[in-house]
Amino acid sequence: MNNNRKIVLPGERISDKKLYLPNTFVEGEETFAAVIGMLDEEGKYIPLESRYKPLQEDTLVGIVTDVRHAGYSVDINLSSPAFISSKDFRVELNLGDIVSCKVGQVYEVGDVDFAEVKKLPPGKVIHYPPAKVPRLIGRKSSMINLIREHAGGDIIVGNNGYVWISETSNIPLALKTINIIIQKAHMSGLTDEIAQFLKNQTGESKISAQTGE
Amino acid sequence: MGGHSDLKLLVNGKRLDGRTQFDLRPIRVEVGVLHDADGSAFVEWGKNKVICGIYGPRECIPRHGADPYKAVLKCRYMMAPFSSLEEHGRSGPNRRSTELSKVIREVFENLIIVENYPRTQIDIFVDVLQSDGGTRTTCVTAAAAALANAGIPMRDMASAVAVGKADDTLVVDLAKEEDNFGQCDMPVAFSYRKKDILLLQMDGLLTRQEIETLLNEAEKASEKVYVKQADALKKVYDSKEEKFKM
Repeated sequence: MNNNRKIVLPGERISDKKLYLPNTFVEGEETFAAVIGMLDEEGKYIPLESRYKPLQEDTLVGIVTDVRHAGYSVDINLSSPAFISSKDFRVELNLGDIVSCKVGQVYEVGDVDFAEVKKLPPGKVIHYPPAKVPRLIGRKSSMINLIREHAGGDIIVGNNGYVWISETSNIPLALKTINIIIQKAHMSGLTDEIAQFLKNQTGESKISAQTGE
Repeated sequence: MGGHSDLKLLVNGKRLDGRTQFDLRPIRVEVGVLHDADGSAFVEWGKNKVICGIYGPRECIPRHGADPYKAVLKCRYMMAPFSSLEEHGRSGPNRRSTELSKVIREVFENLIIVENYPRTQIDIFVDVLQSDGGTRTTCVTAAAAALANAGIPMRDMASAVAVGKADDTLVVDLAKEEDNFGQCDMPVAFSYRKKDILLLQMDGLLTRQEIETLLNEAEKASEKVYVKQADALKKVYDSKEEKFKM
């Protein structure tokens, strides 16, 4: 771990000003961490564990859990399923289908309206910690593009922590890589490390394929 | 409490397990031990062994129990049938486990920012695998670590310790014999930052002066417990080795 970063626990003070950030709370004139997180030198607070909180424009991956005449219920890692109305979207879905959607509107109580719904081809959906999603995407999608390139198929990362990996890609390799990112999400220089890892992995598989022949 | 025995609980200032008056038993905390739970912790406190799993915030069941303004907290304390020599945990919830579930829930109702998750429930499951006196304080300690591990927003951390009196001597962290044959057992849970008392029960008799002394000692002891919780929570992010859990 980086030395100039410090892990803060719930209830630890992160600033002596009122900040009103997500996953924090204000008491008096001070701001405190509400979940375990990282505090760097400049006083920037990054939560390490958190629940998904829907925001407008978020890309989500969801699983259809109920099919009704009026529409579909989708599990998007919230406490209650969201609803895709067949009035608004002309998509034909079945139970267990995977969809990617864009969040249109979020209501005060946490209900979600969709702006865009797309059915995804068959693949694997994994649960990923929502707080670590920015690390998996990387700066300007650098990390996820790296994995896509090496796994040879499409991967969609939902802000809600559901990650879809297409059937056509190297799923074991993608899973292995994502696991490393989960373990080391709080460390710096991760993209380089993952690039090296993927290079080694694909190199090894080529060699073993050759010797197998 | 209330039991009678010829057993000497203190000899030359040393307790049965060799501790002095205000010593704690060895404590080990580990978090993230369960794969499917949103957060989990395992605590070994002397001979006590407690495992805790956190689920939620998730859909409230039954639906009519949901609160439109905040999350509902549910706690279930249970002793495993093999947890002690006595008839514990053999036949589902009993008067004792219902009480403990309630007091543990109330500790965290004061800490978790429940307003963030309306219409949901948060489940705290604490299971005692092995008991040796002071399971409720062990459970509070485990549940606090597990909730922090789950990323559920809290205003503070909780750590608990039992204090009391055995053989006319004030003691901290009572073991089973001291609890059974001593004069008083007083479990206390403190929040770390504000030092609020989140749980206070007393079985036996103490003078006002003794209570004051014991609360001071309990506060000092709870800080030692907090250090163990904090170390365990931070250790997750320090480990260099890769764990494949998926």
